[in-house]
Amino acid sequence: MKIAEIGFESFFTWNNRPKILYSPGVRSELAFEMNKLGGHRVALFTDRGIVDAGVAEMVSEEIRNSNLELAGVFDKIVQDARIDIINEGAAFYRECQADCMVVVGGGSVMDTAKAINIMIGDGVDDFQPLARQGALWDDVNVLPPQIVFPTTAGTGSEVTYAMVILDVEAGVKLAATHPLNADVAMLDPELTLKVPAKVTAFTGMDALTHAIEGVTSTTAEPISDALGLHAIRLIFQSLPVCIREPENVQARGNMLIASTMAGMCFGNAMTGAVHATAHALGGKYGIPHGLANGIMLPWVMEFNLEEGALRYAMVAEAIGIDIRDMNPNQAARAAVQAVRRLKEEIGLNETLKDFGVPADPEKLAPMVDLAGSDSQLPFNTREAGEEDILNLYLKAI
Amino acid sequence: MKYWSDPAQPITAFMKLFSKTTQDEDLRKSMLGLNQLILFDYTQDGPDCAIWLDARNNQLSYGPGKPPGEPDLTLSTGADEAHLSWANKLNAVQAITRGKIKVRGSAAALLKLAPKSKKTAEYYTEALKELGWEDKLDMK
Repeated sequence: MKIAEIGFESFFTWNNRPKILYSPGVRSELAFEMNKLGGHRVALFTDRGIVDAGVAEMVSEEIRNSNLELAGVFDKIVQDARIDIINEGAAFYRECQADCMVVVGGGSVMDTAKAINIMIGDGVDDFQPLARQGALWDDVNVLPPQIVFPTTAGTGSEVTYAMVILDVEAGVKLAATHPLNADVAMLDPELTLKVPAKVTAFTGMDALTHAIEGVTSTTAEPISDALGLHAIRLIFQSLPVCIREPENVQARGNMLIASTMAGMCFGNAMTGAVHATAHALGGKYGIPHGLANGIMLPWVMEFNLEEGALRYAMVAEAIGIDIRDMNPNQAARAAVQAVRRLKEEIGLNETLKDFGVPADPEKLAPMVDLAGSDSQLPFNTREAGEEDILNLYLKAI
Repeated sequence: MKYWSDPAQPITAFMKLFSKTTQDEDLRKSMLGLNQLILFDYTQDGPDCAIWLDARNNQLSYGPGKPPGEPDLTLSTGADEAHLSWANKLNAVQAITRGKIKVRGSAAALLKLAPKSKKTAEYYTEALKELGWEDKLDMK
């Protein structure tokens, strides 16, 4: 099969701000980059797990051995970017009189730090009104310098302008966007070597979902295609290696690069029904986001084939499947099978049943309702109504 | 304005749209879930070019011009962009990031209505046809 020319909207925009540096040990460039940004007194934001694993220290050491000053370490960030922690983090930044921020962590840490930086720039004490507004694109203030080190290869938050915020009081997750994300993203695979196999597997599936949904979304365009498709190549090559050989720096590096590229892809092209259904699973059953994505991905791909075969054929080709003798439907189905095989290979065999999700349409109704009103759903290749969403959940149980 | 001959036209079209969507059980339920007073502010195209939707206290009402109170959410844009938006021909994310739609107040609840945009667009097409404004459906 020869892939036909794939259409796209005649007008699209491309947003991507952070400068990116990659290398094993690239943290040694931190002071040089921060000096250029004008930062001197660093507040380091991370979480307890990163501190206990010695990863935060790998970055702190670079700060101490440079002309930068470590004003303080805030390690209270927990799973999900919580408004109460965000407010506490902003107060911490002010108390220690920092003038710049270094962030070491996964998606929750990076999202929390993004919100804290906006609060510092805006001079406010409470992030809740901003989280509820969601779109923070007007009257934008200059933010303090921020350099981020992602420690998992999945979220892509280091390059997206969105943050998912948990409003603990209201018990809801809110998506907020702001045009100024980090100034610099430093991809240092040495910081990811100690990530456990299970977390490596599901964060890797998160990155794969970003890439596949970005490439197949209704707002896909050539730049996001290029990034998403190469991310898919790298993930299929390197994710199994990271599981087998956790200290393989090259494979870890490829996954970090893939995750960043997938982040750039979906940050511009949006996602689809995998994210819509996974957000609801996270909210109702506490299933980690990457794992929920990994469970839903093949089922949503299968559902979408009917209307998006050509784009899924592109995915198949990026996976490394020889599609020359296949029609688009065959190639698209081969892509779904390859995703299922990859999940097996990396040991992701969970179904929704393992998390207590009931195979009862009545009990699933609130979750169907949540997924049906998710802001990512309109970007799905194929329109998914309530019955479709229910069927997707039932299949994934 | 590209699609409208005067500022009264879009208000007529949007009021007709609201009369349809507020009678649809599914959309009505979703709108009540907003529990907000929302102002759709198109005054950049005329001083009275605005409509409001009041979904507070489990009741629905709507009207042209100034809202009956301080809005919880104001969406400011041009009447042309609004036309494209109600017709589901506007990429809202892009419009917000490029400053074509300005958001003031809590938009979290409204975002949940995004998946209803296709159905809303069907009612909008109906409304325009009933007003004899099929020509406005040509949005190339």
